[in-house]
Amino acid sequence: MRVRAAVLADYGRLGLEELDLDDPGPGEVCVRLAAAGVCHSDYHVYTGDLPLPVPMVLGHEGAGRVQAVGPGVSALRPGDPVVLSWLPACGRCGPCLRGRPELCRVAALAGEHGTLPGGRTPFRRPSGEPVHQFSLTGAFAECTVVPEAGAVRLPEGADLASAALLSCGVLTGTGAVWRTAGVRPGESVAVFGAGGVGCSALQAARMVSAYPRIAVDVHPRRLEAAAACGATHLVLAGPGGPLERVLDLTGGEGVDAAFEAIGRPETIAQAFNATRPGGRAVVIGVAPPHLDVSLNAFAFPSQEKRLLGCWYGESSPARDIPALLRLQEAGALDVRSLLSRRYALDEVGEAFAAMLSGAVTRALIAFAS
Amino acid sequence: MAVFNDTAALYGTIGRFFETLTGADEGQLIHRVGGPVLFVYHNPEGRILWVPCPPPGGRPAFRVLYGDEAVEPPLLTFEQDADTADRFWRGEIDLAQALARQQLRATGPLSRAMKLLPHLDAVYPRYAAFASGAAGA
Ligand SMILES: [Zn+2]
Ligand SMILES: [Zn+2]
Repeated sequence: MRVRAAVLADYGRLGLEELDLDDPGPGEVCVRLAAAGVCHSDYHVYTGDLPLPVPMVLGHEGAGRVQAVGPGVSALRPGDPVVLSWLPACGRCGPCLRGRPELCRVAALAGEHGTLPGGRTPFRRPSGEPVHQFSLTGAFAECTVVPEAGAVRLPEGADLASAALLSCGVLTGTGAVWRTAGVRPGESVAVFGAGGVGCSALQAARMVSAYPRIAVDVHPRRLEAAAACGATHLVLAGPGGPLERVLDLTGGEGVDAAFEAIGRPETIAQAFNATRPGGRAVVIGVAPPHLDVSLNAFAFPSQEKRLLGCWYGESSPARDIPALLRLQEAGALDVRSLLSRRYALDEVGEAFAAMLSGAVTRALIAFAS
Repeated sequence: MAVFNDTAALYGTIGRFFETLTGADEGQLIHRVGGPVLFVYHNPEGRILWVPCPPPGGRPAFRVLYGDEAVEPPLLTFEQDADTADRFWRGEIDLAQALARQQLRATGPLSRAMKLLPHLDAVYPRYAAFASGAAGA
């Protein structure tokens, strides 16, 4: 099949290309995309901060309909609405057996190689040159081929644009609050970085009645979005950093749980420093893999502070996405307010620019149906 | 709102206050540190250095140097936001907390500075009075 895709030809060089897409192999499905979210991770690959092989089809937050299924696929049929998971767990490796599918070694390795778990990529240039796919998805393409576990079935009638956002930012932000930090009613939280993930974390904090819910960002526009997502206090971070303000808002103590949804060493330290003694800081933001963070060593034992990492919201998409859809149906989770603007497949560059400027909470690539 | 609008305001308040200490009894405490102490400020940027004057007991007890004058290698360095410094000298900062939160970064033998801490209770109100005078001036 011939498909159009946004291909990262080299770092910093993204363009629309016509690619050949293989038929789905055993245990694989071909999905026709309806919508794909634009995430900071895509941009990190674009810049090379997240070093992955090129050429590569970017995009990892996708939703659409099953186009075809490979041999042995029983749970999905052509026409089924699905959302993609960029971490399709194998179910058999050590982390999977320990109940941590988000750390699946097989999926992580394939992700690093930009291929499917078997080591092959389904995309090819007309010349025959293989084109990698980002994180077992490659959602910036009209169609893609993914492992069966990488396509989570949605109820008929589900809004595919919302579902695309659920699959990464919302899963991650809500999972960080509910699972990694285990925030309880009445606990105070601060979220550093009010993009799609941060705003999802704020909504999750609202759902469990955390208070106060402090949003920290350098863009006033993003703070507005944070307020719409349940932030009760907004802190515009200035040159001196936001720490004093967060302390002022919590009686000088700091918050019970702080969330870093940016991926910068400075803001990771800020989030840790903004927690109260006995509090916990959760790092959700993805920093380039060669950066270190410096923290006060004495604070760990003397203040019992905990620093926690969170990958993909410690989620299991097949378990958690249906729950998020129900919360959306019940009106508790507002995914539409995260969705700021739609772009065409050849406008990924514009979507990146809007994301970086703080003009959008989440940009979406909408595919012509 | 920052406490000090610019480096001149920072020097004019915290720096001038340090100068009042050079002739005070508490000024002699610097000899317990045993070397120069550098304060590095941010927002606004600034550097103030205390250099002990021998012999102990003489007046002034130390000299206060600013910015590019502060060339002598320090024994101890404290780096902080100017706002944090203002709150510290008002006695509003818990040192252990401030270090844990990296509001204050110390380099060098911190224990020597800790010896001074109990004596600062008498200094805090004088800073507050001095700072309100400086702000009104
Ligand atoms: Zn994402
Ligand atoms: Zn696995």
